[in-house]
Amino acid sequence: MATISIPLPGISETAPRPRLSEYFRWSVDHKIIGVQYMVTALFFFLVGGAMAMLIRWELLTPKLDVLDSGSTFNAVLTMHGSAMLFLWIIPMMAGLGNYIVPLQLGAKDMAFPWLNAFAFWLIPPAGLLIIMGWFFGPAEAGWTAYPPLSTMFSGDGQTLWALGVHLLGLSSILGSINFIVTIKNMRPPSMSIWQMPLFCWAILATSIIAVMATPFLAGALTLLILDRVAGTTFFNPAAGGDVLVWQNIFWFYSHPAVYVMVLPSFGIMSDVISVHSRKPIFGYRMIALSSLAIALVGFTVWAHHMFTSLQPELRIPFMVTTMIIAVPTGIKIFSWLATVIGGKIRLNSAMIFALSLLSLFLIGGITGVMLAAVPINIYVHDTYFVVAHFHFTLFGGGVFGIYAALYHWWPKITGRKLDERLGKIHWFLTYFGFLGTFFPQQIVGMLGMPRRVAVYDPAFQSWNVIISISAFILGLSVLVLIYNMVVSTIRGEVAGPNPWRALTLEWATSSPPPAWNFDEDPVPFEDPYGYGTEGANAYLSALEERFSPPVVAPAAETVEEAAEEIAEGESSQEA
Amino acid sequence: MSEAARQRAEELALKNRRTGLTIFQWSWIMAFISLVVVNLQLRNQYPSWPPPNVKPFNPVLPTIATLGLILSVVLVNRAHQAIKQDEQRRFLGQLGIALGLGLAFVLVMAYEWVIADVSTQYGVLFRLMTAFHGLHALVIGGILAYIYRAGRQGHYHSGNTWAVEAGAKLWYFVLVAWILFYLFLYWI
Repeated sequence: MATISIPLPGISETAPRPRLSEYFRWSVDHKIIGVQYMVTALFFFLVGGAMAMLIRWELLTPKLDVLDSGSTFNAVLTMHGSAMLFLWIIPMMAGLGNYIVPLQLGAKDMAFPWLNAFAFWLIPPAGLLIIMGWFFGPAEAGWTAYPPLSTMFSGDGQTLWALGVHLLGLSSILGSINFIVTIKNMRPPSMSIWQMPLFCWAILATSIIAVMATPFLAGALTLLILDRVAGTTFFNPAAGGDVLVWQNIFWFYSHPAVYVMVLPSFGIMSDVISVHSRKPIFGYRMIALSSLAIALVGFTVWAHHMFTSLQPELRIPFMVTTMIIAVPTGIKIFSWLATVIGGKIRLNSAMIFALSLLSLFLIGGITGVMLAAVPINIYVHDTYFVVAHFHFTLFGGGVFGIYAALYHWWPKITGRKLDERLGKIHWFLTYFGFLGTFFPQQIVGMLGMPRRVAVYDPAFQSWNVIISISAFILGLSVLVLIYNMVVSTIRGEVAGPNPWRALTLEWATSSPPPAWNFDEDPVPFEDPYGYGTEGANAYLSALEERFSPPVVAPAAETVEEAAEEIAEGESSQEA
Repeated sequence: MSEAARQRAEELALKNRRTGLTIFQWSWIMAFISLVVVNLQLRNQYPSWPPPNVKPFNPVLPTIATLGLILSVVLVNRAHQAIKQDEQRRFLGQLGIALGLGLAFVLVMAYEWVIADVSTQYGVLFRLMTAFHGLHALVIGGILAYIYRAGRQGHYHSGNTWAVEAGAKLWYFVLVAWILFYLFLYWI
């Protein structure tokens, strides 16, 4: 286990990228693993996105015409949800955490490098299992896999789906244990937990949720597999089972899990907004503690997914806890607003995506409180209003955060900035494509269009045409991002170690960082968000001086080697 | 690398492992709790538990086995204390008896598993929970057996007890998880 660190002498500040082949091998370097996570997740994002395009194509007309049957539609829907949640957002957040957290803590690697690699390598086989299911009688029960759909109607693909998700859960638990230990034990002595960047706080809260909730998913999936394979009847009411067992156990995992998807995004927000507003973050402790509060209260709200199937006397308590969880979220929103107001705002792509997240997540949060109210919930239950709500939170809150993080940390990961002009085009298409797709869904949902069905009342068609066209624009926006990634990695503007003049420790080393991250133990600035103070400016100037000129002159052979590596990296670099 | 830095790195590695194992235990006990929740929820279907006309399981043999498991955990703990003071013979002796008791527990529960009547949800739940726990007991017992073998070859001494400590803590976990199941399977 690589726990003993030896800073490499010599060439680390020239910052060559790792060789391409490193990314296809077992590697215990958290930076390699982070990129592996992110590229894998992006692949599944494209798979899930293609499925979304298919769904919207089908829904252009009220009749079933593109796909051959309702079953196929269900299968496409299942694949879309599973890929986006389990294989895109969760691994993507894990990847960002992997790359950024040890750097922000000034650590040389994660606490358990081997375990880290193991957790990653569970994901490709899991993804393969889930996709393979398509060819063995696809899973049709949606990403929530409610019985009896998942026990009596889906094909063998549902069993493979359950196995795949089982592996992903294991990966998530192991990865999260690693995060918690790293954050708890591996901070530098001069960084108290109240001087830790808020992204680390968010990852800490996320990891606590993941370790405490994911075993419930394991339990639920075990029962599902037994019901499908071994002939037990845990979910079959005709033989003494109960479908509510699945709903309770699954949502006890899955409701906290939606915070696993969105909390890291909140951490990204705090970092990005403060850096690009050049202002100290407003209410540091409140933001940090509200993450933990969300994690805690998140365990008490699961039954709001089951208002229509629950015993009526349990509705009010869950309605109350659900509304309470809006409070810590609101604290964050107001803190970010207070940070932005009066700042010297740099409207670059990262910041624009972060501000967009504010506006979109706000709508997602408010529709969340609406849905928490039992009378509204029963009225719009299983309609497109719910679909709109969770896309506003998970796309508007999760994916917009990922986009902001990509623009913000891309220079650290590759050494080059993403192109700003393409970034703005990407933002324009994403933001308006998103609003055009999901805002009208609230309206058709209120009008009563049910979700998860391939055919609908012709009266809704005009709205659905608008939604589908916007969705295609949204799909197009992803291609712009991919193009930007490829082009900018090859010939983007060279970023230097600290292009945003940020105070957190990931910027106190070269871009990309050398093998052990820091040549000498970094000294964190006393306040990670103390922008605009004299001390902060002095610290940033000192950093700049230390890293310029960026190339120190090592022995001749080494330079040649370094140049060769850079050339090789440029010709065949991947995201 | 200086001697001091090496020592710091080793201390940190040990601290990390301890924290990691603790978090794993807190995490994985939730899987056992989830099965208890399943058990409680499925009971709601029936007017009484066990359901009318179903014979409850006889707790005598499992109770004896549980006492054996408790004794086994105590012995593993004492073995861990012994190796911290370099008392190899006491370490091996107590670990060996603990392993025997653990094996006896697994065999008794395997017998109970085989003879369980699974014509009702009551029996199926019993089988589900004992098998789930039994798999953990087997795997962790295997780890302890491996530690015993390595101990016989003299791998452990007062400067190298982490593996023993981890094995002992995992064996506690088996006990805690079992007590949880035992209460709900036989008494509550």
